[in-house]
Amino acid sequence: MKELKILYLYPDILELYGDFGNIQVLKYRLEKRGINVEITPYSIGDNPPNFNDYDLVFAGGGADQEQGILAKDLIKYKDNIKEAVNNGVFFLLICGAYQLFGKYYKDVEGNIIPGLDIFPYYTEAINDRKKRCIGNIVIDVNLDGKETKVIGFGNHGGQTYDVNTPFGKVLYGNGNKFRDEMEGFFLKNVIATYLHGPLLSKNPELTDFIIKHCLDRKYNENIILEPLDDVFENLCRKQLLDRFLSKEKKP
Amino acid sequence: MKNFFIILIMKILNLCLKICGKHGGNFLGKIAYSWNPNIFKYFKVHCPVIAVTATNGKTMTNNAIGYVFKSAGKKVVSNIEGNNMETGILSTILKNCSLTGKIKADYLVFEVDEGYVPVVFKDFPLSTLVILDFFRDQLDRNGEVETLILKINEFLKTYNGNLILNTDDPNVARLGKANPDNKNIYYFSVEKYDFASLEQKEAGEGKFCPFCNTRLEYEYYQYSHIGKFRCPNCDYGNNEIYKLATNVNLKERSFKVDDITYKIRFNSIYNIYNLVAVIACVSLYNIDTNVIKSALSNFVLNNGRLEEVSINGVPTIINLAKNPTGSNVSLRILNEDDDEKELLFVLNDNLADGLDVSWIWDINFDNLNNVTKIVTSGTRAYDIAIRIKTSGFDASKIEPYLDLHEAVESLYKTNTKKYVIANYTALQPTRKELKL
Ligand SMILES: [Zn+2]
Repeated sequence: MKELKILYLYPDILELYGDFGNIQVLKYRLEKRGINVEITPYSIGDNPPNFNDYDLVFAGGGADQEQGILAKDLIKYKDNIKEAVNNGVFFLLICGAYQLFGKYYKDVEGNIIPGLDIFPYYTEAINDRKKRCIGNIVIDVNLDGKETKVIGFGNHGGQTYDVNTPFGKVLYGNGNKFRDEMEGFFLKNVIATYLHGPLLSKNPELTDFIIKHCLDRKYNENIILEPLDDVFENLCRKQLLDRFLSKEKKP
Repeated sequence: MKNFFIILIMKILNLCLKICGKHGGNFLGKIAYSWNPNIFKYFKVHCPVIAVTATNGKTMTNNAIGYVFKSAGKKVVSNIEGNNMETGILSTILKNCSLTGKIKADYLVFEVDEGYVPVVFKDFPLSTLVILDFFRDQLDRNGEVETLILKINEFLKTYNGNLILNTDDPNVARLGKANPDNKNIYYFSVEKYDFASLEQKEAGEGKFCPFCNTRLEYEYYQYSHIGKFRCPNCDYGNNEIYKLATNVNLKERSFKVDDITYKIRFNSIYNIYNLVAVIACVSLYNIDTNVIKSALSNFVLNNGRLEEVSINGVPTIINLAKNPTGSNVSLRILNEDDDEKELLFVLNDNLADGLDVSWIWDINFDNLNNVTKIVTSGTRAYDIAIRIKTSGFDASKIEPYLDLHEAVESLYKTNTKKYVIANYTALQPTRKELKL
């Protein structure tokens, strides 16, 4: 029986926006196909993990003050994480976790919280509350040559700069910055994005892309995933894409 | 003199509204407040003023306190319709005062929005403040629960009136230390009940000690983050309890406080907390326990907050759920009921609901007890259907309908007992569709 190992970072701290749902969706879509999934939570005080032992590393978004505390903890694993990224372990990073993997985060008071500095971007908070990026988002994404629309919800004050390889092109809502045209950060085995929702709940194609990527790497094959019943997901996508892309104006 | 005229105009306006058959909501307060934001100072109050605040449970607790006082033959002025911001409270006062600002009542009882306690009571007397709980609401997912608590904490630093606090919510109990000189702090609690757990079953706050940042230890969780906690480092959480509910029996709908058995009309742990707060509050005003007992045995809410009705002979329980905790409370009641049942979940994403519906992933849908069908509706009918499916509930037994009318029609195809959960803007349309 095939198995994927997921490392779930700081589930008790990075849990403000329901991002845990991504783990549930992954688990659901793996188990429906008879693939075993082992989810290992890691938080402050737990035994240090070896990131190379996992197929997928996931982290979500949390409250600002708590994110500062865990930045200090995460930085202990910087070299190990870098190695795992280079080894092809898949990283799915949402919101706060996205920011933490960059050079730094500068908060409203101007304090600099150093990031892992694994990717070249950096994030700066803005004082203007009106420019907090809150709302539904639709982006156009290219998954290994396959175009698809990804739907989610953004809620961030930080503006992320110097992203050279964005995750998607914004069709509706905000991107890396207020009214930015680009959203997220994308490398072969890294997706970092501001999209909550949770991200994977309304984007089965993206979920399966991640699953396939992890399985192909682990078992060195070109797996064809068994299709699942996505009736609700498809209805949901149709409804929301109609609503956001035709009826409502760009906010 | 200015205030005199403001009140006069408001009285006339109120009369006009009444003639037109309108209730007015916070309309009067809005105008009066915009004309004079210091108008709260003008009123002459000679009776106790009681306020209830919390994330969840304000309306019920507020109305129950008023109900007990009324049952004791007292005149109560209260914002029972739930207009709980400064303008809503002002509207209630304006409707019940004389032109010189005198309020004729034995008790003023207000539910107050968490954010507005410092605003309303800056210039208005407050005798007793009841605080039930602080949860994350869907609207303030920016860690703003903490900001809110800090604001109330600041207000309490100079407050010396009665303070009634839930000792089992670490977000609430901490406020008992805001003013070390205040000797009028009363903690309430509920003894561990049958469905309490060692692990936290539902998303909640209060993981770290607010005084020393150490991870809190829980002996048990009643629901969400409400339970018996303690800080292993500084001993925070160890409070002397003023009123404790024991012998909680949800099937019989009863509990005991001070060896007196209270029969009630509610069957959730969450309501027992609210009612113990009510008992703690009215006992400070020497209300006879027999009066309390009889009042609580009759007290019900008919506004979609754990409302129990019969629709074409089918028992139906309706509950508003604006946030994960509200939904989890409803599902707890559902799971503690062994009867076969069908669930309707109506989820909207209008501005007043919060545009972000990701909070539904913080609802615990695991292992629903004897639920044979789930119908979903609202503007996010599909989102909630996906959420429930992912939790493991058989997708073939989930029916999503964007149209509420179709949803209700499908729900009442059978005579099986119904549970209905609706979020903020979904509640009234749902009740209307149910012909309530
Ligand atoms: Zn402590």
